[in-house]
This record gives sequence, structure tokens and C-alpha cells, in this order.
Amino acid sequence: MAAISMNSPWPPLRWFGLLAGVVILLTLPLWSPSDYITSIATLAIFFAVASTGLNVVYGYAGLLSFAQVGFWGLGAYVSALLVTDHGFSPWTAIACAGVVCVITSLAGGLAALRVSRDAFVVITLSFSLLLQLLARSWTSLTRGAMGIPGLPSPRILAGDTVLLDGNTASGFYWIALGCGALVIAATWWLLRSRIGRAFIAVNLDENLARSQGISVFLHQLSAFALSALIGGLAGALYVFKLGIVDPGIFDIYYAQMMLIIVIVGGAGHFWFVLLMSFVFTALPELLRLAPELRMILFGLVLIITIQFMPQGLGGYLADRRNRMLRRTE
Amino acid sequence: MLVSTLVLNGLVMGAIYALIGVGLSLIFGVLEIVNFAHGQIYTLGALALALLVGHFGLGFLPAAFVSALGVAVFGYILYVLFLQHIRKGEFERGIILTLGIGIVVQNALIYFYGATPQIVDTEFSFRDISFLGLRVEMIKAIAVGFAIVSITTLHLVLTRTRFGMAIRALSQNREAALVVGMRPAVIAAHAVVIGTGLAGLAGAVLAPVFTVHPLMGAPILFKAFAIVIIGGLGHLPGAVVASLIIGVSESLAGGLGSASLQDAAVFLVMIAMLQFRPMGLFGKGVRI
Repeated sequence: MAAISMNSPWPPLRWFGLLAGVVILLTLPLWSPSDYITSIATLAIFFAVASTGLNVVYGYAGLLSFAQVGFWGLGAYVSALLVTDHGFSPWTAIACAGVVCVITSLAGGLAALRVSRDAFVVITLSFSLLLQLLARSWTSLTRGAMGIPGLPSPRILAGDTVLLDGNTASGFYWIALGCGALVIAATWWLLRSRIGRAFIAVNLDENLARSQGISVFLHQLSAFALSALIGGLAGALYVFKLGIVDPGIFDIYYAQMMLIIVIVGGAGHFWFVLLMSFVFTALPELLRLAPELRMILFGLVLIITIQFMPQGLGGYLADRRNRMLRRTE
Repeated sequence: MLVSTLVLNGLVMGAIYALIGVGLSLIFGVLEIVNFAHGQIYTLGALALALLVGHFGLGFLPAAFVSALGVAVFGYILYVLFLQHIRKGEFERGIILTLGIGIVVQNALIYFYGATPQIVDTEFSFRDISFLGLRVEMIKAIAVGFAIVSITTLHLVLTRTRFGMAIRALSQNREAALVVGMRPAVIAAHAVVIGTGLAGLAGAVLAPVFTVHPLMGAPILFKAFAIVIIGGLGHLPGAVVASLIIGVSESLAGGLGSASLQDAAVFLVMIAMLQFRPMGLFGKGVRI
């Protein structure tokens, strides 16, 4: 876990890549051949946000967690219930979902962080499974397997005129892009601050961090809560894209997707994880693979990555760059 | 009467869970890898039995042996190809690697086998036996027999033979085991073969009890995880005790409560247990 970096491994690529990325993302609905492609890009934005949350807790704080899909689903259910049963506006509901996820993660983290790191993995997995079970069986609240349909689309208004309408594929895309960019930028800023550096310190050497006066437990807990907030917000907005939420939101598929994005991008490599969320969302759709073949491919990619470049693409490129620099010196 | 039936049923299921949990715990103890492919390995055992009995007309007992043996060979291949490259302290790598293997195996099975659940009929299906005045399905009794015999054998091997002591030494104190000249690679290979073989055997003996399909491993894997967490990671007797606790609590929760309570029982027991003993019932008192 030595090659944690906030920056792209190759500086000129950094600015050019960022600029190209921003232009492509902003204009995508204008040149995309169909609403289908725009919808895939929207899904990729959600995966980018949720995976960034996993990257915070695993890549930066060093805690492998399967709770991300749980918070994603919890956020989805909370926002859906607040909108349908309590008449909240989508935006207030999404904010409340974020708050609920943070409170849940603090309560859960207090218990789960007491155990060893291997047990932590299993307990976070059981947390997600338990939430799925609740969504299935607490029918008086969640309507069980039927799910909660009829969610309205969020809109952005300026006075009385509708600026962006979530009913259209492009409208929802821009809303998701705006919200996603906001969350990702805030996370990036936070990870560059003292807090982010403390996460990395805790990850690299707990004892050394402790000797520097950094509270390991507090930072692990706050990384876990931050990841829960990010995952919850992503899930809360995602259900408005679906229009319905059911226990399938907790599907292990989402968990595997987030994990593969972080692992292949490189745990602790901010930009590569974002890039990979687009690659792994778009590629299987464009290849039109059967679901089983897609998962076989994902599994193989996971195995090959962890066998041959355990630091992921970001770590591999950073290593190469360092070696090149050393040679030229 | 009802409660005693439920407890007996719970013990029966617990004994079978123990087959899976003990294998998982053994692999963790020796390799320090939480094997996320264990559920799919169990599925392989069940599908192998379904194929041998349904397609090749083999009897239940020889089919169960062949299935377990085949799965153990598969485990050895996994060890040689992947697991032996995982170093100590890289437990995340082990988890991600085995998760990837699990994803590939599960989806390859769906692709080649189909996801339709199938029922395996053996010569022992639809027969009951009486035990202390209570009726138990014969197929479950046989499964328990397998569990008791194989876990007892494993226990005897671990406590009475040099090889077993080597396994225990390696899982208790790796450094000291290396100092006295043990070969961890050989011992680890054996642990993986035994652990996967037991999971394969569990899949095979449970195939006629449940319906068989490629996704059957996931819920069982989770129970196995709960078992090793409750028992203490790498602690084999702990895994057996935890299996019985899980089996009985599930059975009581399902019988006296509801089906969803039965599914939740394993979570509730695990959460309650971790509040009092964060390292499990018999776990070491240190944070890894």
C-alpha cells in the first residue's frame, strides 16, 4: 500500500486528461448517439461516486469493507420512503439519506472496528446482507419484494422555469453529473487535507501514526462514516433514476462492481478509480455480453489484476514512473 | 415435543454446517486466508453429486466420495495456481483473489449448467429413521454420519499424528514452526486439500436435502463465515461449537418464530456474540 497518490502518475497527462475528461463528460448527451448510451454514462457516474466511497475506506484508510453496497441500498430506501410516505422533496430526502447513513455507520463502526481486520470484512458483508434481509422481510415498511414504485424525477428549477428535468435521459445525466462532481470534488479536497493524510498514515503504519498523536480508531471510524455518506448519497439519487426501489438494490453485483473498480483502478489512486468506473460500466454494455459471461470476465480481471499488479493500474503506472525517474537521475 | 424436534433438527443442520465451517477455519488457520470461494467449492460438490447420481447412475455413497475427492483435487489446483503466491499479511489480496475465483466458478457453472434448481433423488430419499422417539429423514442422518466421522477423523489426525501436529503448530505459531524446520508450503497444500474436500463433501451430502443450483453456495458461505467468526478465526473446535449453536438457533427461530427470523438468526447470534467476545468464543485475545 506504499504507492498511494492523489495525482496521476504522469504530470502532463494530468491536466490534459482532466480537461479532456471534463469536456467529454459535460457534452456527452449532445453527441451521444442514443439515450441508451447516456443512461450507461449516468450509471457510470453513480458507480464512480460509490466506488470513490469504497476507495476512501479501503484505498486510503486500509479497511476492506463490503458495507458500501449496504449504505448504497440504505440511502436508496431512506430517500424513497421519505419521498413516497412523508412527502419530502427528492433533494431533502437525499440529504436525509446521507445523514441516516452516517449515523448508521458510526453506530456500526463502533462495534465492527473492535474486531480484527479479517473479521471486519465479514462483519461489513453481514451488515449489507442484514439490510437486504430487512428490506425483504419488513414488508409493512418496505413493501418487501414488491418494492416502492412511482418515485418522481428530481428537477432543478430557476424560479419557475425548469433548468434540468430528470424525466429525460440527458436531464438526469446532467443532474447526476453535477451532484457526482460535487461529492467527488469535496472528497478529493478532504483527502488532500490533514484528515486525508491521517487516513494514509493510519493505513501505512498504525503504530507510527499513534506515536504521532493520530487516533487510529477515530480516523478509521471517520473514514468509514465518510464512505457511508458518499455511498448513501449515490444510492439515494440512483433510485430516482430507477423510479422504483426493491431489495435488488443490495445485490452482490453492485458490491462486486465497486470492488473491481477500486482494485483494478488501484486502491488509493483517486483518478484511476474514477476512470475505471466508466470502463467497467461501459465495456460490458458495449460488448453486449450475457450476464454470466460478463461476470466471468470481471472475475478473471480481478484474479489477473491481483496476481500480476496487486496495486492496480494506478499503482503499476506510478511504479513505472518512479523507476523511470530513478533511471534518468 | 416440538422443541425437542426443533433442537434435533438444528443439531443435524449444525453438524453439516460444521463440515463447511471446519474446512474454512482450517484454511484460515494455516494460510491466514478468508476463503471467499468456499461457497462455490461447496456448490461444486453438490453439482458433482447431482451429475454422478442423476447422469451416471452412481449410488449415493460412492458418488459422495468421488465428489469430495474431485473437489479436493480442484482445491489443490487452486492452491498451486493461486493461493501459494499469497504472502503472510496480505489477507486482503487473499480475499479479493478467492472472491474473483468464486465469481468465475459460480458464473461458469450458470453458463454451462443453467441456473434452474434441480432435485437429486437417491436410494435413501423419502425414508425416515427414528432417533430417541423422534423422526429424522434418513438422508439427513447419513449426512450427519459423514460429518461426525470426517470431523472426528480430522480431530484424531490433528491431535495424534506428526502431520496433524505440524498443521496445528503452523496455525498457532508460524515463526516457531519455521524455526524447527517445517515446510509450510507442503502443510498449507494439505490444509487446502482437506478444507476444500470437506466443503465438497458437505455439498455432496446436502445435495439430496436441498435443491441443487449454481447459486446455492452464497447463503451457506455466509453461515460458514459467521461460524468461524463466532468460534474464533482458525479455531477448529470453536467452529464445531459455533456450527451447532447456529444450527439450533436457526431451527428454533424458524420453528417458534417466522421464516425471516430464521434467516436473521445467524446475524443476531453473531452480533450478540461479538458484543461479549469480539475475538470469538475461543479466539485469541489479540487484534491481528
